[in-house]
Amino acid sequence: MTARRIVLAAVTGVVVFGFAWELFVRIFDVEPFILLPPSEIIAELFERPSYYAEAAAVTGRHAASGVLISLAVALVVGSLLAAWRFLEQAAQPVLVLILVAPWVAYFASIVVWLGRGDPPVIFLVAFVSMPVFVFASVAGLRSADPAARELLASVDASRMEVLWRLRLPAAVPSLLATARYVTALALAAAYYGEGGNLSNEGLGAIGRRAANGQNGPVLWATVLATVLLGVAGLGLITLLERVLLRWHVSQRARSPR
Amino acid sequence: MTAAIELAGVTRRFGAVEALAPIDLTVEAGEIVTVVGPSGSGKTTLLRIVGGLVEPTAGTVSVDGSSPHDARAAKRIGFVPQSPALLPWRTVEANARLLLDVNRRRANPNNGPTPTELLADVGLSDFAGAYPHELSGGMQQRVALVRAVALGAPLLLMDEPFAALDEITRGDMRHLLARLCEPLATTVLFVTHSIAEAVFISDRVAVLSARPGASSGSKPSISPAHASPQSRMSHRSSRSRGDSAHSSTKASGDEA
Repeated sequence: MTARRIVLAAVTGVVVFGFAWELFVRIFDVEPFILLPPSEIIAELFERPSYYAEAAAVTGRHAASGVLISLAVALVVGSLLAAWRFLEQAAQPVLVLILVAPWVAYFASIVVWLGRGDPPVIFLVAFVSMPVFVFASVAGLRSADPAARELLASVDASRMEVLWRLRLPAAVPSLLATARYVTALALAAAYYGEGGNLSNEGLGAIGRRAANGQNGPVLWATVLATVLLGVAGLGLITLLERVLLRWHVSQRARSPR
Repeated sequence: MTAAIELAGVTRRFGAVEALAPIDLTVEAGEIVTVVGPSGSGKTTLLRIVGGLVEPTAGTVSVDGSSPHDARAAKRIGFVPQSPALLPWRTVEANARLLLDVNRRRANPNNGPTPTELLADVGLSDFAGAYPHELSGGMQQRVALVRAVALGAPLLLMDEPFAALDEITRGDMRHLLARLCEPLATTVLFVTHSIAEAVFISDRVAVLSARPGASSGSKPSISPAHASPQSRMSHRSSRSRGDSAHSSTKASGDEA
């Protein structure tokens, strides 16, 4: 499928879904505080585009910073865990705990610890994204071809050389696949964090105020803006896959079924 | 000639399993010796011991006068695994350079052909910028061979490198191996299932067979009778690498 057909298919899906949503709200006369029709959400978004764009930039910065930090930490931690199975087994419960613990339970403590503004939000994003990246990096680093590992051992390659020349490139496909999930996770965490970091920046802060004031159009406009950020993030990951994974089977021309 | 490889009483056990029964073997410098035997007879284990990738349980191993580990650390061993093991994210040329790029501190004083020259020699110049998935199996194996030869190591260890290829391509690869190794006087220890291949390629053939006295009754092991002293160049064919006629001078058995 060509890139144009992929975009066309995605747009068709969104348009059909939007029409179905609009019809549902209008036919069943759903109350505005329960669900707004997409036309009203879009109208709100276009009424103050720069307002939402600036807030989206803040949310995007929070999410991207957190993801990059979590990726860096995960690569270091993942390399250690991939090398020592005992360490991996010891770390598994902790990683699962971080992954499943509800943010609402501890985010206030993070704000008290790191103060208001960006740091607690970026920390939250990095913290919740890190376990997923660690799992992906361990699996990816271990997926390196054993024959290639033996080949490098035959010339006494150091651990760092094996990591750099073999294990890390082998981990890129699983890291990029995981990044798709992490994008959604990071945006959700950033949105939530901005709503509780005692600051007035970002889509989450606007959404929090709108929810308190029962302002449905603004609340849903922040949700739509967050979705658009997610789509942009996924687009960026797709582009990275095209560039970095030219060699990978997932990026080659489709073979017959 | 000095011995490039010397094994004396070498065995390897993995727990209760005897992967390699005691073996003595000497390979002279510049010689091509093939090890044949059924699956599980320890051919690959033998190769990995010589390559310093596995420690023997008992016995002594000398590669070029030093331990396998030292030879490996000095990049004096070129290894060709059964699968080409090309890195899919590197181009053909980058794959051919891989072993030169790794552990650069211990580069061989290599006056031999460069990877680019070798790729041209094996007819892959036009594919230097291609990725491994764009090559056929035979072409991939040629790149693997170039990668090992480009290292300039005096010893090549080859673990059934042509096993997955069709017969015509295997024939081409045998000629190619002879053509690449002949000018460099490279010592080659070659593992294969194919008697015909062994006879064609090598100066001598060492046969590993199931040992009748093995405790499991079916576990193959090395028959010492197939190795030293009988296998120590008791006769050597007048090898003319690349010349198919020399295969007729070979015989398999304890030592061909």
